[in-house]
Amino acid sequence: MIQLLKLAYRDLGRNRRRSFFSALALGMGLGLLLLMAAVVDGEYRGSMESTIRLESGHLQVRSASYDESKASLAWEDLVENPDGMAAQIATLPPVEVSTPRLFASGIVAVGEETDAVRVIGIDPSSAANAPFSDGLVFGDFLTADDREGVLLGLPLAERLSLQVGDKVTLLINTSNGEVDQQDFIVRGLYSTRTPSYDDRTVFLPLAKAQAITRTENHASAVLVLLHDRQQAEAVASALQGAGLQMVTWEKANELLLDTEEFAAAYMTFLYLIVLGITATVIVNTLVMAVFERTREIGILSAIGMRRRRIMAMFFAESGLLGIAGIAMGLVIGGLLVAYATIQGFYIGDMGVTGIMLGDTIYAHLTLEDTLTLTLLAFVITLLAALYPAWLAARMEPVDALRAGQ
Amino acid sequence: MSLYLRLAWRNIWRQRRRTVIVVLAMGLGLALMMLYDGTVAGFQQAIYGNAIKILGGNIQIHAAGYDRDPGKSPLLPLPDDQTVVDAARAQPQVVAASRRIKTRGLATSREGAFPVGIVGIEPEQELPVSLTAQNVAAGRLLASEDEDAAFIGQGLAEAMGIGLGDRFTLAGGATHDQMRTRTMTVIGIYDVGLPEIEKQTIYIALGEAQRLYGVTDQSTEVVLFLHALGQEPAVIEALAPSLAAYEFGSWETSFPELQAALGTKGGVMNVFSVIILMIAGIGILNLLLMAVYERTREIGLLGAMGLRPGQISTLFILEGTLMGLVGVAVGIVIGLVLNGLLGRIGIDYSQFSSLTEYTALITGRVYPTLGTENLIGRAATVLVISALASLYPAHEASHREPAEALHYV
Repeated sequence: MIQLLKLAYRDLGRNRRRSFFSALALGMGLGLLLLMAAVVDGEYRGSMESTIRLESGHLQVRSASYDESKASLAWEDLVENPDGMAAQIATLPPVEVSTPRLFASGIVAVGEETDAVRVIGIDPSSAANAPFSDGLVFGDFLTADDREGVLLGLPLAERLSLQVGDKVTLLINTSNGEVDQQDFIVRGLYSTRTPSYDDRTVFLPLAKAQAITRTENHASAVLVLLHDRQQAEAVASALQGAGLQMVTWEKANELLLDTEEFAAAYMTFLYLIVLGITATVIVNTLVMAVFERTREIGILSAIGMRRRRIMAMFFAESGLLGIAGIAMGLVIGGLLVAYATIQGFYIGDMGVTGIMLGDTIYAHLTLEDTLTLTLLAFVITLLAALYPAWLAARMEPVDALRAGQ
Repeated sequence: MSLYLRLAWRNIWRQRRRTVIVVLAMGLGLALMMLYDGTVAGFQQAIYGNAIKILGGNIQIHAAGYDRDPGKSPLLPLPDDQTVVDAARAQPQVVAASRRIKTRGLATSREGAFPVGIVGIEPEQELPVSLTAQNVAAGRLLASEDEDAAFIGQGLAEAMGIGLGDRFTLAGGATHDQMRTRTMTVIGIYDVGLPEIEKQTIYIALGEAQRLYGVTDQSTEVVLFLHALGQEPAVIEALAPSLAAYEFGSWETSFPELQAALGTKGGVMNVFSVIILMIAGIGILNLLLMAVYERTREIGLLGAMGLRPGQISTLFILEGTLMGLVGVAVGIVIGLVLNGLLGRIGIDYSQFSSLTEYTALITGRVYPTLGTENLIGRAATVLVISALASLYPAHEASHREPAEALHYV
């Protein structure tokens, strides 16, 4: 085996330039695939994180009859005494923070312009609001007793030409199926760098939101953030009670997970094509090597080398090419991924509302993806040696010896 | 030149096996691009085809300033809508021209609240050409004298838990910072098979919209329905000079986010395709490098016969480019076959339709086109990369000393 590798190594060294370029082709292919895998994974990881941070939390406790797509404010669809429930949940050891949220639908109107928004009532003092309070760009964050302040997303405010201190009319649905409207003052503008969210979400203090929607002492959900998200199921079953439903982050991200699966199938197809193209370069290199060394192969078999061993020699060559190519690929891919992880790709607003897609994708390369792709590249390189090795082993010693004379 | 071409053509087939493999790699690269182009075009067709039918009209005409900011839809009345309608009807491609008022609103019931677009229409004008009018599931169409009556989608009716004859609250943005809230009765329900889209729009009579939203005797939009898709540019061109104070929009401009998304993805795909083709290009580079060695004596001979280094370079670059050209041919065949198959089977995208406002327009499966949309550009990329890959071997070949090369065994 060692001897075989030595032989293969020397053979590759005979045409150094060609071997280098073949390995480079593999390296470029692998580097590209690593980047792609990292970007796709980064995209989904980012969306998942955003959904959890901005929207779903790790767990939401809702009334059993609540339907997320309807944003009903009827009392029977809401959680009663949410403050008390949140305080109680917060005492559980796995829970980091717990806070009530009220979800309503509304319209903001400024001048001739109107826009549909989601109105969320929040407890301004809760640490769960970190994405919004840290993301404050202008003005101040809300306070619990603010009766006329509203917090707007930056893109929405820009579209409506609103600034801090401006007046805005807000129309919101109420618990009895009607609407109520009131003027508010823009207290602050926030940005979570998630266009689809910032563009259509406005915040009110919970007490004010309850007052205008006539849902006193009720909330749509109690949002729970955990220290470790794997414990969501355990906490959910601990909290399960009559008339309540538990929505874990996994359930809230179903669409995202489905999309990811769909994308994964597409990616596999792409991986195979890229590696297939790479393989042709290696096939060609080895085929050339077989024909250059026809006499040599004749000699080797004349002095008793078995066909299998001749084949093995070519597999050893492709294996070495594969290792060199993978090394290059890891370097190329590593550099690309490092750049994409730190700098990210700015994509702007793609109008994706179904999942929380940020305006910048930061790559994230998992060990699993790296290993899978490396292994796949190696296997395909070895497979690429099949045809040249078969060509070499098929030669008749006598004919091969005579070749080129 | 034709002599070089003949030489190059013969040369690339001297080692048939190698060339076939290289050409296959190039072809696969091109086929992959075609697959992408075909899928994107399929998506666009699926989205736009339905967009025109459901969202109304091939061309929308607004007052100047309406489209100043993307995503805005102000209640900006047209200065003289009758002139616009008359001018449009004079065009032979226009089937119908109808005035509308569009505003945003909130529809609420005990079940919940839903942001909707409220569209005031002229029923007599639109109903013959509108898809919603042809798909009435219950009740009746709007009539122009209807009051407090709404024509809503099946998707919205289900979500709101209301049916024919039921009442619900509809609040809409009016002019001058005002909101007008009104209790409406459902007089008809349409079902176009796209629940997500049906949730987005409520139709009322134009007269009622004018009264409710403070646009007395005016409208904010004129929509034109054309005989066929693709006639938009000609109609806009014909109308634009006489309607200088108006803005024209067509289905192409109606989804700015879709354009942005496709632009970004297209850019990524372009970079991606160049890298893939570069990998395949390494195949050409390696092959030609080998050819340079194998043909050392031959190159010496050519040099001795008086071919200048530049001419020898040209020969090798031609060989590389020819391989690229054959690759293009192979790629087109593979691409057409793959897209042809995929175009028959289709891609099931229905479970993701709620992802964006524009994918909500996709019904069932998406059928890719043949993917020839960007073929010229893609093929040019293949040829350029093939030519670039042959530069280095060509340089090597041209720098051989004829005398030494001739002695080479």
